[in-house]
Amino acid sequence: MTTLNEELPLARKKRLSHNRYAYFLVLPALAPVLILSVVPLLNGIYLGFTDARAGLNQTTHFTGIENYTELLSNDLFWASFKIGLIWAFSVTILQFLAALGLALLLNLNLRLQWLTRTLALVPWAMPPVIVGIMWQLVYHPDAGLVNEALYRVGMGDLATNWLGDFSTALPAVIVVGVWAGMPQTTVVLLAGLQGVPAELNEAAAVDGASTWRRFWSITLPQLRPVIVAITSLDFIWNFNSFGLVYVLTTGGPGGKTMLPMLFAYEEAFKFGHFGTAAAMGNVMVLIIVVLLFFYLRRRMREVNA
Amino acid sequence: MKRLTPRKVAAVALAATMAVGSLTACGSGDDSADGPVKLRFLSLAWQEASVAANQKLVNDWNAAHSDIQIEYVQGSWDSVHDQLLTSFEGGDAPDIIHYEAALSGQFAQMGYLADLKDIVPADLKGEIGQNVWDTVTTPDGAVFGVPFLLESQVVIANKKLLDEASIPVPTADAPWTWDEFAVNAKKLTKGDTFGTAWPLKQPVNRVLNLGLNYDGKYFQNTDGKNSVVFGPAEQEVPRRIHDMVYTDKSAAPDALGMGGTDPLPGFFGGKYAMLPGSIYLRQQMVEQAPEGFEWVTLPPLKGLSQNQSANPQTLSISEASEHKDEAMQFMANFLSPANQAELAKGDWLIPTGKTAGEQLVASTEGKDGWDVAVASANSLVLAPFQTVPEFSEWKSKIATPAFQEYFADTITLDELGKRLVDGGADIIK
Amino acid sequence: MNRSKPLTRALQYLALLGYIAFLAFPLLWMLSTSFKTPQEVVELHPSLIPREPTLDNYTSAFEQQHLARAAWNSLQVSVGSAVLTVVIALPAAYALARVRSRINTLATAWILLSQLFPFILLVIPLFIILKGASLTNSLFGLILVYVTWSLPFALWMLQGFVRGIPRELEEAAAMDGASRFQTLWRIVAPLLAPGVVAVTLFAFISSWNEFFFALVLLKRPELATLPLELAKFVGIEGIARLGPLAAGSLMATVPSLIFFAFLQRRLTSGGLAGAVKG
Repeated sequence: MTTLNEELPLARKKRLSHNRYAYFLVLPALAPVLILSVVPLLNGIYLGFTDARAGLNQTTHFTGIENYTELLSNDLFWASFKIGLIWAFSVTILQFLAALGLALLLNLNLRLQWLTRTLALVPWAMPPVIVGIMWQLVYHPDAGLVNEALYRVGMGDLATNWLGDFSTALPAVIVVGVWAGMPQTTVVLLAGLQGVPAELNEAAAVDGASTWRRFWSITLPQLRPVIVAITSLDFIWNFNSFGLVYVLTTGGPGGKTMLPMLFAYEEAFKFGHFGTAAAMGNVMVLIIVVLLFFYLRRRMREVNA
Repeated sequence: MKRLTPRKVAAVALAATMAVGSLTACGSGDDSADGPVKLRFLSLAWQEASVAANQKLVNDWNAAHSDIQIEYVQGSWDSVHDQLLTSFEGGDAPDIIHYEAALSGQFAQMGYLADLKDIVPADLKGEIGQNVWDTVTTPDGAVFGVPFLLESQVVIANKKLLDEASIPVPTADAPWTWDEFAVNAKKLTKGDTFGTAWPLKQPVNRVLNLGLNYDGKYFQNTDGKNSVVFGPAEQEVPRRIHDMVYTDKSAAPDALGMGGTDPLPGFFGGKYAMLPGSIYLRQQMVEQAPEGFEWVTLPPLKGLSQNQSANPQTLSISEASEHKDEAMQFMANFLSPANQAELAKGDWLIPTGKTAGEQLVASTEGKDGWDVAVASANSLVLAPFQTVPEFSEWKSKIATPAFQEYFADTITLDELGKRLVDGGADIIK
Repeated sequence: MNRSKPLTRALQYLALLGYIAFLAFPLLWMLSTSFKTPQEVVELHPSLIPREPTLDNYTSAFEQQHLARAAWNSLQVSVGSAVLTVVIALPAAYALARVRSRINTLATAWILLSQLFPFILLVIPLFIILKGASLTNSLFGLILVYVTWSLPFALWMLQGFVRGIPRELEEAAAMDGASRFQTLWRIVAPLLAPGVVAVTLFAFISSWNEFFFALVLLKRPELATLPLELAKFVGIEGIARLGPLAAGSLMATVPSLIFFAFLQRRLTSGGLAGAVKG
């Protein structure tokens, strides 16, 4: 057995990347993960090919692709899928742009940064149970913050029932989604910004490059791995999130905010159709993988480089 | 720390993981062979008074019965369905389960709840009317729960505004008809005040409950097969609500997207004169109404009848429980008339037991709408939709969005009917 | 970097203020609500400053629900899962980023899949496994679940950070005769500090706030975590006892924020500059 702290001769430098013992570093991570993550995951995927239902002593049969042929003609599911894509893309993009702006501000030498950095985390730190209730009050048609603010600035005509109106419900929940997910995107980007060598920026500044140019040609390329990592995760998370929307609208009004994950959740937990729900999960995984493939191609190549 | 190699760290972590794992494994052996029977009771009481009443009853029981010990676990309405399904599937359900008939019925269909038919004591059985027992009886006659708290839909009104418009308060013997309600709502509509607000964020249960006023069935069973109907009887209630919003303009359109208690600020602020809602709203009146605000509980509206569907809260016993008889002993004690009255009072709901209802009216002197509340229990019956296994799926996928669109005035009554019926045919296969 | 003009600076402060207002306004709202009487909570035109401030909500929150006990449980679980996540993820992420092998492809696939597949559908199988291992009804079982839940994120992010560190730095250190471990500890670790902080925060806060697993795994009331106790202020049809809920939620939010206020300095203390100069 090689020990980890053995001296590393110069000659072996090249073989650093081949080092077998690196696997040992990965192993401890794999133990709990294998059992608690992979097993349920495989189980979940398998359920998508069965007729599993909730119930005592239910027998489950393998049904092959039957769930999927049924899903193809399930218009409600596909309608919700479309909403899910609008939701996931809007939230992820808005979240990223807003968080990047905030992270850049937090990375400047402004005063009270310890406080502003901390306060930027509020959405994340709040217990989810109160978040939904609070946003319902924010959007409340009679006593809500938004309408109250509109009245006070003399734009009372714009006041509406934000979560109950067919045209404003989805945008309203998207704003909540952006709000809720901003902290973690900001923290990750801020951490990433710390890794951008100050020297590069200063050198460019000496050369007379404008702030914008420096951001575009130095900061952004340096941040790229982190940006790719967090936006793809954000996209997945946003696509998969439904708890907040469930509390706010339960998918209404008229199904306008019925996210696909909400659909699958109801299928499983409200109606007990585990097989159908898992099949929906599989379909969503497949489609998101295809979407992400193009985005992550480069990253994958780096991984295997 | 310099010599701490990553692998050492990993090894330590793994060892620690295992060590703690074995420790907790040792500590978690909870069932010993002898000793008292331990039962877990998942309660959904949440009002301060009602939690206190529950805990007191459990503590009293535990003090008096050393052989049957109850562990009181407080659940929450928001999450209880997912919690129960997971623990049923995982074989780890509580012994005694507090829930509501419509949804515990689903768990009964899945086989998770014990049939209590033969173990319910006669005096408890006799206290509760057959109309209520019907709601907890499966088509093949099994009883999956003991109903104990009922809820009816009433109208709560701003007394001052009624007086100003010289509208007398109807009594339980002479309730308003829907027509009278509409006329009075119109009378009360002036300036910034709407006659009423219909909070229909979740429209289906509300409409189908009230639909019974005009004998609206919404579901029929022909040759053992369920289907949705939407004839003149079923159209009455949705049409009347729709007309109040869009023809009479006596009901606030913005309120349609609200949940049951969302109109309260507007109601207290005089924006809405009357508020149709559940009987438990009285609790919000008592706790949250501003000083000097006078409110009154109007009896349930009358169509052809005052019938509404009964969906009582229930206590059930898990099929997997090893101590069903002991659990029932506790339940029978828990639901004695005096206790039922106490529990109902804490939650501002109606006890199912006749004696308990009488006691409650006597002890409160019928104040705070208790007279109206207890009287309304008589017209609570089993509605056809409550026995349709696919109801919950139809409600969520078809009826909720369709009703929401109808009430937002984006589809007509005929289109609504078509969507309800066709959607029903799709789901009930 | 302090060469900005006064106007630019002012605009920067203004933008920051806007962000903070948008993100942190709930703090004010919770504070205000937690001192309001039940009557004032449902006013048509709510005011920020309670007219008749009351402490009832706090006493009610603490007396009725066991918030202090729950906070202690939550703290154990959150610190436990944050530490365990980082300890497991850090070496693994390094290996994944630096070593070329088929395991990487597999690990990446797993990371993505575990995030992609609807978590809610994994709940029941996971519950059954934990029950088989007698890990229900124990805080440790809950920690394991949270670690499993945070690991993919941790690995994914830390990999990105490792990859952002030029190999040349490590090679230079190796050429200077530093041992492999010295290289890791002195060169790589400081550069990773911001990433580690981000991951620690993530693991801590997601455990601190997680509700559903705590709900199904912990049956004994004395093990309940904060989110479970807070949920008890919400009743039928989403009606909440808003005052006590706001008071309790505020008490649950503040520790996370304090935790972050301390950690955030580490978020900036890494920095490549120091490493190169040092």
